[in-house]
Amino acid sequence: MTQRDAIEWIAKIFETSPDQLTPDTPREGVAAWDSLGVLTLMASLDSDFGIVLSDDDVQGIKTVGDILHVMQRNGKLG
Amino acid sequence: MRFILVDCIHELDPGKQIVASKTLSAHEELFRDHFPGFPVVPGVLLTEMMAQAAGKCLDADGTHPGRAMLGKINGANFREWVRPDQEIHLYAKITQNRPAYATADCFAEVEGKKVCSAELFFVFAPHDRFAPDHRDPVLEAYWTTHPSQAR
Repeated sequence: MTQRDAIEWIAKIFETSPDQLTPDTPREGVAAWDSLGVLTLMASLDSDFGIVLSDDDVQGIKTVGDILHVMQRNGKLG
Repeated sequence: MRFILVDCIHELDPGKQIVASKTLSAHEELFRDHFPGFPVVPGVLLTEMMAQAAGKCLDADGTHPGRAMLGKINGANFREWVRPDQEIHLYAKITQNRPAYATADCFAEVEGKKVCSAELFFVFAPHDRFAPDHRDPVLEAYWTTHPSQAR
């Protein structure tokens, strides 16, 4: 998956346009990235990519780039 | 009308799947408005029935830090009208079951015909938010008749 594809996937999770997201976009900059959004992200990473986040992983995700880093670390981002 | 939308659990594999049922009496006041001369069970109540059934399945496995609460409705379809006094059979299969969240594929049948379906997402509310003496009467009734499964 390319970074562009990954950002499109993330945008879908947070019900926003991919144009609104860059790797530097912080959690605070995404309206749907609230507590429910975090759980939706966790569930979708699990179901779509088989990535199960640890509590430390979740605490460390503060930007879109952090999500991309998790995907890359799990071999899902080329 | 009480908001207990599951009458009885028929089959339960805690944390995995459940079969339950609910019948809404024609005497319920809501049918006066939904709709006049054409009483049918509202889709939102069918969705809540499925959610409550799935929620009981999740609560029964005892692995979560709280009670299952509906967090998202990822999709729902309503295919057939459901009339008052019809027994609605509720089926929920838990597709993801994690400490912080769960997902379920649910459907309901009346007289062997699928009437609706939904993909549901659950979060868990801490137990201490609820009345300390609260018990789920429907789960309790099931465990009474299936003591080997009781936690």
